[in-house]
Amino acid sequence: MEHGGGSGGGFNRFYKHAKSTSGLSIVYGGSSNSNNSNGFINNTASTNNGNAANSNTMPPPCTVREQDQYMPIANVIRIMRRILPTHAKISDDAKETIQECVSEYISFITGEANERCQREQRKTITAEDVLWAMGKLGFDDYVEPLTVFLNRYRENENEKTSLRAEPVLKRGIDYGSPIVMAPPYGQPGFHVGHHQGIFDGATAMGGYFRDGSGGGAGGGSSSSQASLTNNFDPFVQYK
Amino acid sequence: MRQAGTYSGIVWGGISGKTGPHLLPLARIKKIMKKSSEEVKMISGESPIVFSKACELFIKELTQRSWMVTIKGKTRTLSTEDVASAVLATDLFDFLVNLVSESAPAPLHPKPPN
Repeated sequence: MEHGGGSGGGFNRFYKHAKSTSGLSIVYGGSSNSNNSNGFINNTASTNNGNAANSNTMPPPCTVREQDQYMPIANVIRIMRRILPTHAKISDDAKETIQECVSEYISFITGEANERCQREQRKTITAEDVLWAMGKLGFDDYVEPLTVFLNRYRENENEKTSLRAEPVLKRGIDYGSPIVMAPPYGQPGFHVGHHQGIFDGATAMGGYFRDGSGGGAGGGSSSSQASLTNNFDPFVQYK
Repeated sequence: MRQAGTYSGIVWGGISGKTGPHLLPLARIKKIMKKSSEEVKMISGESPIVFSKACELFIKELTQRSWMVTIKGKTRTLSTEDVASAVLATDLFDFLVNLVSESAPAPLHPKPPN
């Protein structure tokens, strides 16, 4: 039975990703893995029987690690490649490690957000809880760009539902400039940890404030005061 | 390193009326959130959306830090050990210390005092 997992000898670590098309990974016991607080279906010490794993016919009792515990590796790799130089290579192990780290990150943040919900006796984890948890756990640099992202997402959703109801020009928002049909942003150029290129969250679809003064509409823009004209050509698409 | 296009696929896909595409699958994110704890009951629709972007930022930061380790070693292949080193060197990634020490077969150097 070909799992791709029998790499011969040394089962002192998990072989995490068998080459199968079913989306399941076969994990052979063999590591003295201790913790797992984040709910992975994972091999634990109770199924640890590493030495017996050397047979190549019927593998010993093994734990099936489902791929849906992780982000799809292709997506992870795609994001990595955006950061790395073109000539960079990534080992398969590193890809898997980062894949696991992402899931750990989600669990980590969610756990904290969930605790807050419980303290406040709420049942639903909201986006605000997630953002709060990130700030609390040290990911402050993410909070602002994520807030901007979330605001834009919400505006998009509002736009979809209200577009049919009234023209964009008459959203009831006092525009400081005559630009009302400005397209979204050209080249945002987002950098982790930097404010450059991060916009004052536009408070209305199709409009933005050149002087950075956020309007009240649309619910709490972010506080970023980066220049909105940075890298812009507002009419690049809407001629 | 160019960042152009980072937002365009994710956020502005919605401008034209489409809902996507996010770089990371929302249903999968939701599943992982639910599995993080038995006490997680309900998740708002926006939470996975925030996470999809947050995970992207996270992957980028972790990758970038790992790559800094890689190039110090004058190789061009980012390895698990590089990821582990980056985790150990970054306080923010303390929650990953156990995870990376499980994956790495070789003992890792101790965390440098910060």
